[in-house]
Amino acid sequence: MDAQLKRGLLDVCVLSAIKNDESYGYKIIKDMKPYLEMSESTLYTILKRLETAELLTVRTAEHDGRLRKYYKITKNGLKRIENFKEEWREVMSIYKFVSKESGNE
Amino acid sequence: MNKQEFLCEIRKGLKGLPEKDVEERISFYGEMIDDRMEEGKTEEQAVAETGTPDEIVSGIIADIPLSKIVKEKIRPKRSLKVWEITLFIFFSPILFSLLIAAIAVVFSLFTVLFSLAISLYAVDLAVAAASLYGLFSFVVISARGNPSVGAAFLGIAIFCIGAAILLFYGSNYVLKKFFVLLKNTALLFKRSVIGKEKMK
Repeated sequence: MDAQLKRGLLDVCVLSAIKNDESYGYKIIKDMKPYLEMSESTLYTILKRLETAELLTVRTAEHDGRLRKYYKITKNGLKRIENFKEEWREVMSIYKFVSKESGNE
Repeated sequence: MNKQEFLCEIRKGLKGLPEKDVEERISFYGEMIDDRMEEGKTEEQAVAETGTPDEIVSGIIADIPLSKIVKEKIRPKRSLKVWEITLFIFFSPILFSLLIAAIAVVFSLFTVLFSLAISLYAVDLAVAAASLYGLFSFVVISARGNPSVGAAFLGIAIFCIGAAILLFYGSNYVLKKFFVLLKNTALLFKRSVIGKEKMK
């Protein structure tokens, strides 16, 4: 897959994992696991990128006598998910056309 | 391997990167291990699931753009003294040309290797062409009433077809190895740049 495209997809994936409630690294990986396997290093890079782009915020809180980082989606992050869904509706209809015309192998 | 050793290995591998980045990464991986243990896994299991330090370090370094590493490396840790700058300017004609020469050597080395890989494809093409010629000769010579010589050409043609197919896979293999070598060299270069910085 095109690297740029994949990056965009993974970004939205991680944003969706924290869409309803703030979450932490391990939980994000676990929640995504049924759909895609993501390594810790990949997740770290994505979280960093999303934080810089102000699509999520980070806070450190104590949990069980140790520190844990929690990630929370921002308004811009929610907007990114909405944009993605809109874009992909178009992509899906193109895909349907392509499959139909090429005999859906 | 326990958590402490694991994080220590990563820290060692990332030596030379900005301290803040390294600490952030370390705490990230530490948190992952703690969360796995909270789920009931043993420390060893939790570490094993997170990956090997070597894999993680290679992945991290491969992700950082070379320009960032070089910038980080070039930025002086203290302001240079006047005599250092003077010396640098004085020797810059030599240093600069040495640098260019070094880059040229590495570049030409890879060019030679690359053309070697490509030339294999040319040989392959030639063998394939020879097989076509053999088939053609077989038909023409047999038609002219010389079947034994024709059969010899058929044999040559079949041999060439086999050789061409074999060579094609061989060439693919060599070309693939070339790109692996290129990638590894880049990684090695990055690692050496990072490594040197903090070794005082």
